Amino acid sequence: MARYFRILKWVILSLMALTLVAFFHYVLPQHDVVRITDTSTQRIDMGENSLFWAAADLGTDATQTTRDVKFIATIQPNGKPMVYRNEDTGWIWPPYFKFDSYNVQAEASDLKSTAEAPKWVMITHYGWRNEWFTIFPNAVSVKAVEGPDVTVFPWVNIVILSGLLAILFMLWRMWAQFKERTIDPTIDAVDARADAMADSARGFGGRISAWLGTWRAKPRK
Amino acid sequence: MGGDPMMAFFRLGLLYLVFATVMYFLLTVYFRSLRREALEKEWDGDPAREGASAAEREAFIEAGVAEWKHSFRRRLIWLVYVIPVLIIGVVIYYVNW
Repeated sequence: MARYFRILKWVILSLMALTLVAFFHYVLPQHDVVRITDTSTQRIDMGENSLFWAAADLGTDATQTTRDVKFIATIQPNGKPMVYRNEDTGWIWPPYFKFDSYNVQAEASDLKSTAEAPKWVMITHYGWRNEWFTIFPNAVSVKAVEGPDVTVFPWVNIVILSGLLAILFMLWRMWAQFKERTIDPTIDAVDARADAMADSARGFGGRISAWLGTWRAKPRK
Repeated sequence: MGGDPMMAFFRLGLLYLVFATVMYFLLTVYFRSLRREALEKEWDGDPAREGASAAEREAFIEAGVAEWKHSFRRRLIWLVYVIPVLIIGVVIYYVNW
């Protein structure tokens, strides 16, 4: 039985870890070098995939069930296509605070090129492309680069992840301090009172308390 | 999900206020606890205070904690309200300009 619980524990832990990795892989910025072939605007009716789309532009009517979304169609250096959406995140999740999607679209249109005379462009984006659910990564910025082999050291991701780790470490320290200073002394006080009561009750009561003692945790070092 | 700019902005502002206030409270408790522990250790580790009474020890610790309450270090905890705004400002600048 214990063995199955251990397996179950590991399955749940792995699922949680996987979810965490997927979450950060979706939300953190990544850089692709691509060739822009077209920029366009299409009407989109969000449905079950609405989680993977941003909200309506700031200042526009958000009560409409349908809206136009800007797209950037590209070809990767390996010849495969990649299509990005270009939406404002505004003040809403994820916290990119992007308000300039129309400017990004103008820049992207300016950098269009053909297979014969490619202009390579680095697109900073977050999100995933998935054909089955019709979801697209959101392009945050575009920038002309020298060639298809340009890479960027992920400073931003390192800073964000170290910041989160620092916060986590701080919370753990705070919990340890709280436990050491508040919880443990309380438990010790309760234990001491229980021991005093056991001492005062001899005979039958003493035997019961001795039996209870076998259930009590081993003393801490 | 609203496209109304004021609503979205205020929702974020409210979220930030709640988060920062909780963090401010927790950090205050934590740093005060650290200060108290340090004061206890300072008193207990001082051979000159060997024969002093428990009341004297308590008075020494309370005085130290009271002093800490008005210290510059304690005021630094207010940074939990300032830093997120700075980070958001920097992100807005880098993403949009």
